[in-house]
Amino acid sequence: MSGRVAKVFSEVLGVDAVRITDDTSPDNTPQWDSMAAMNLVVAIEDEFDVRLSTAEIVSMRTVAVVKKVLATKGVVDA
Amino acid sequence: MDDRARQGPIDAKKAWREHIARADRPAPKLSVGLSASFTADTLVPFVGAALLAGDTEAAMTVGPYNQLFQTCLDPEASFGGPCDVIVLLWRLEDFMADEMAGFLAGDGEALKRAGDKLAALAGAICQLRANFKGMVIAGVPPYSTGVAGNLLALDNAGGLGGLHRKIAGEFVEEIGRIEGVHLVDLDAVQRQVGLAASFDSRKAYLYRQPFSDAFLHVAGQQIARIILASRRAAKKCVVLDADNTLWGGIVGEDGIDGIQIGDEFPGSAFRDFHKFLLGLRARGTFLAVASKNNEADVFDVFDKHSGMVLKREHLSAWQINWLPKAENVPLIAKSLNIGTDSLVFIDDNPMEIAYMRDARPEVTSILVPSDPADIVATMQALSLFDQLEITDEDRKRADMMRAERDRESFGAQISHADFLRALDLKVDLFRAKTEDLGRVTQLINKTNQYNLTTIRRTLDEVRALAASPDWRLYAFRVTDKFGEYGLVGVIIIEVSSDNRRWTIDSLMMSCRVLGRGVEQALIGGLTDDARAEGAVEFVGSYIPTAKNAICKSFLPDQGFTQIGEQEWRLDLADAPVVPAHITRLGAPVAEALQLADVAE
Repeated sequence: MSGRVAKVFSEVLGVDAVRITDDTSPDNTPQWDSMAAMNLVVAIEDEFDVRLSTAEIVSMRTVAVVKKVLATKGVVDA
Repeated sequence: MDDRARQGPIDAKKAWREHIARADRPAPKLSVGLSASFTADTLVPFVGAALLAGDTEAAMTVGPYNQLFQTCLDPEASFGGPCDVIVLLWRLEDFMADEMAGFLAGDGEALKRAGDKLAALAGAICQLRANFKGMVIAGVPPYSTGVAGNLLALDNAGGLGGLHRKIAGEFVEEIGRIEGVHLVDLDAVQRQVGLAASFDSRKAYLYRQPFSDAFLHVAGQQIARIILASRRAAKKCVVLDADNTLWGGIVGEDGIDGIQIGDEFPGSAFRDFHKFLLGLRARGTFLAVASKNNEADVFDVFDKHSGMVLKREHLSAWQINWLPKAENVPLIAKSLNIGTDSLVFIDDNPMEIAYMRDARPEVTSILVPSDPADIVATMQALSLFDQLEITDEDRKRADMMRAERDRESFGAQISHADFLRALDLKVDLFRAKTEDLGRVTQLINKTNQYNLTTIRRTLDEVRALAASPDWRLYAFRVTDKFGEYGLVGVIIIEVSSDNRRWTIDSLMMSCRVLGRGVEQALIGGLTDDARAEGAVEFVGSYIPTAKNAICKSFLPDQGFTQIGEQEWRLDLADAPVVPAHITRLGAPVAEALQLADVAE
């Protein structure tokens, strides 16, 4: 996957960007542990200049959901 | 300064992530164990990255969540192995949640219970200190955040604010009574970052991790600064440009009345910089001036301008001429008997800075910020002058240099032999006591030139060594008719199990006392003690470095014969005696402290 979301996930999880898909989730990606989850929140907020609520953070269990949440915040080039 | 030191939180995390991912990363130089009343995993990248920025690869381990007592009692179990550094961090709201709630609800006994809990923690830390050889760092608790922490509640001063002040103050006091435990002030970190900006309620609820990256970043840097300061020598001298560095304007063009230094901005900003510099001087850092100017013009300002806080007598050296500064700076280092790598060069001219970095990369060169209002803040952010223990010698050093100038003019008038006799030199060689260990450790880590083996040790290692029956830790003071040189040297002896062989593990002394025959008195003095303990031989080694050629002939000069590539031996029967012109103060082993006293 290309784009800024893939870049953030790739960097934080230490996984090649091509292996990041919409279905990437903690269930199929051992690197996505609770520490990484925290780091993802900070990295996403920094990259897209948004603020995530706890409900949004809890809901973000796949890359697809992350993109959907970002879309609700007006991020179009995720 | 290393650019990595200026990185932001995101960069720091990235640097650590990349370091951990590197297959070829170097073996860690030290291992750090973090134990906290909150989830400390998020602190790891920030401490790790800040240590990396100081060229120190560390292995980081986090102990179990909110188990400070267990960590203190059995650190190896907490961290799954031995550590070099243990960091203990806690928050009121985790560690004394019930007592805090009770206090805020008006329970009159709650404060006393909180005090008891605090004393128990201090006791556990004291026990850790006694049983653990490495470095211990304890955190001053930050202000309570989250639901309980309404900073602007009308009753805050006597409520939560009062509680935090009392508990934090008491903790600092309790830890202050334990020798050799360092404090990292998380309360100050929180003020620096801002209370609201240091707390992340989402992380606190979701992950039991209350702090924002902004807070963790600064906390990590502070912890790393303390660790790094214990492992490397602070810079010894600041070499200052004059125009637009010590005052605004150019004295050669604007004249003494045209430059800006005094009560009004921008003069007031330069004056505050003077105060900062005097603070460094009081802690033992030399101040020097390297300026392209007429010397008389610059000293006119120092001597006559009423706005100057920094005076001529505060300077330990100067080179004011039109030569390139890269040529002047080594002269300053030489006159102070220090290496050019312990100099910090400060100048407002980017060209001078670039030229110095190119010609003298070992000198730390710092550009004065273009806005004078930023000068002091820029300098305060530097860790170059960090020192964990400030000794009496540090405080007196700059003043002792003045006595040195008197000695030199005295020496010029008479022959060397007469000079030595007339100096009335006294060497006091003694077994180091607890109160000497700070200065002893400092010498061990900063003496580069007159140092036979250049083995560095931390305060904790020195303390362990002083308490060991297999080692003798000696220090010596030197006095002459012009004054005291202070505690200027250290000798570390390892005694063989049959007591017959004394191996000189380390021998070093400050270059301030060179050329007076002090070195001859040392082996003579040691011999008395070695004989009294039944030894028959000394073994020593000289390990050459880029800087210690000066003591290359020390062992042969004292009568040692070479028995290996770096190893030398001296039969005590052939040992030299203390030269006639030197008085050895203090008594041999009969009066020396017993080991138990040293260990305390």
